[in-house]
Amino acid sequence: MKARNLVLLAIAVLMMLVWTFPVLWGLVTSLKTEKDVLAYPPSVIFEPTLRNYADVFRGSQSIVPNLISSVIVSGLTTLLTMILAIPAAYALSRLDLPFRKGAGFYVLATQMLPPVGLVIPYFLILRRIGWTDTYQGLVLVYLTFALPFAIWLLVSYFEEIPREMEEAALLDRAGRWRALWHVILPQAKGGIAVTVIFVFLNSWNEFLFAVVLGGNNVRPVTVAMFNFISLEQTQWARLAAAAMAGMAPVIILGLMAQKHIVKGLTVGAVKGGGRR
Amino acid sequence: MTAASVQMSGIVKKHGAVTALAGIDLEVRPGEFFSLLGPSGSGKTTTLRILAGLESVTEGRVLLSGKDVTNAEPGERDVAMVFQSYALYPHMTVSENISFPLRMIHEKKEEIENAVRDAAARVRIGHLLDRKPGQLSGGQQQRVALARAIVRKPALFLLDEPLSNLDAKLRLETRVELKRLQRALNVTAVYVTHDQEEALSLSDRLAVFMDGRIVQVGTPEEVFSKPATVDVAGFLGNPPMNLIPGGTEGFQSLKGPDVILGIRPSAVRIVDEGVHATVTMVEALGEEIYADLMVGELLVRARLREGERPAEKAQVRIHLDPTALHVFDKATGKRL
Repeated sequence: MKARNLVLLAIAVLMMLVWTFPVLWGLVTSLKTEKDVLAYPPSVIFEPTLRNYADVFRGSQSIVPNLISSVIVSGLTTLLTMILAIPAAYALSRLDLPFRKGAGFYVLATQMLPPVGLVIPYFLILRRIGWTDTYQGLVLVYLTFALPFAIWLLVSYFEEIPREMEEAALLDRAGRWRALWHVILPQAKGGIAVTVIFVFLNSWNEFLFAVVLGGNNVRPVTVAMFNFISLEQTQWARLAAAAMAGMAPVIILGLMAQKHIVKGLTVGAVKGGGRR
Repeated sequence: MTAASVQMSGIVKKHGAVTALAGIDLEVRPGEFFSLLGPSGSGKTTTLRILAGLESVTEGRVLLSGKDVTNAEPGERDVAMVFQSYALYPHMTVSENISFPLRMIHEKKEEIENAVRDAAARVRIGHLLDRKPGQLSGGQQQRVALARAIVRKPALFLLDEPLSNLDAKLRLETRVELKRLQRALNVTAVYVTHDQEEALSLSDRLAVFMDGRIVQVGTPEEVFSKPATVDVAGFLGNPPMNLIPGGTEGFQSLKGPDVILGIRPSAVRIVDEGVHATVTMVEALGEEIYADLMVGELLVRARLREGERPAEKAQVRIHLDPTALHVFDKATGKRL
């Protein structure tokens, strides 16, 4: 039994390494000098430095404005998505709407479109209304992806909650909105947390639309990182430090919501599971 | 709280091409314990949900205490409901569950606390107020659901098979308590069940549902002793009444061929002189023992008297008590 556990542990560690190696390598690189980064064979023993972090947080190459930009775009996208997606998903999961099935398929179909095909139409539309390189422009475009995805995800969580629960609330004189607020949402908080994370993560990591539709005013951290790569040279160490700084908020958010995420992902695995 | 009266007239409910209710007329008097009894899919739960306002009607009117509530929202009807699954809010404590209906109408905090304590005491769950529903047994959850329903003193109390998830012993205990509670609160109760024993023991009156229609309304005694149709006769009683097509060999002398005869197993006697029958099975149900008897091709069930215990495959003779015969029209199924 013990030997079996050891094998399992080894496999688990190996799998973990596959996932974490790129991140760890990035972390190590961010602590090296450019000279150490370029050393061949790669040096494992080196004198760590925080210089790269100082450079990406201060001075001419600072990514702080870009981090703020990312927070604004991702935060607004997430907020607006949730405000719109929760009632929409609730309606789709509960009401006998005639177009319910079609709407469900439409939502899914939007996820199948290759985003690159939409870059030019979006650019043309935003330019026509003067919204290129604006927060509202980028957020609007992100909403077109985030909203269908969030609705689709939330519907499955809402459908897990027995209808009788809100019928009881309706009889208890709660009305639709208060039934949603007091009875449905608290039970779907696992699903809501998962949706928030995914929507925030997707907007935070987005590069393609940000680089085309953004500009000097709106330049999220993903685009800003690109500045460390130029024709003459690539500043690997600073790029790694910027990547670490760009990753940190998402990792912190993930850790904070970890409990809900695990619950949210296992919803429906066991009857009544995930809701308590 | 004033006990409500209920009037449903001409209620039709269709789901697309399927007719769930085909014209329900029903009257429940104030303070009455009224059961809707019938097999699965007969429309009793749909009727209850229409009363609650959780389903709309295709046709017909619903009046509560004389007021037309056909299109009123569930919250506007002053009704409380206990669901089969209890539908407790799993993220709230027992106390929060019970107080929910009062919090929704912004009752004063002090009054809410008193009302919750009172309701919890009535169903004896005062010691469980801080627990979550997931930490309670089925019986306790059911009491919480009851407390949540009675806390706001509704005029009408709707119960959708509230005992069906309890074990047999608890079901009997809770049944008695339910009735006591309804009497103590002086509230009109409409109770849905497919369990005839529950309906017969609890109800002041009951309606028997078959295929989306009410086939009989009456007191438990009336319905049991004078079933209005052959279907009701075949549904009520445990085991149900024997139904013998008129003119069956051995019973020709009783009635003509255009009828169906109904006779309860307790009125079938094993005698020395009578119709020949073969014992196929003897079944002991607690204190009562029943025998399945074949008369030609027809199965007749008899309740045995003390000391009677024929062996399986034994040849016996039976006699039907003519005073206990129910006669139904073969064509219409109605009682004659």
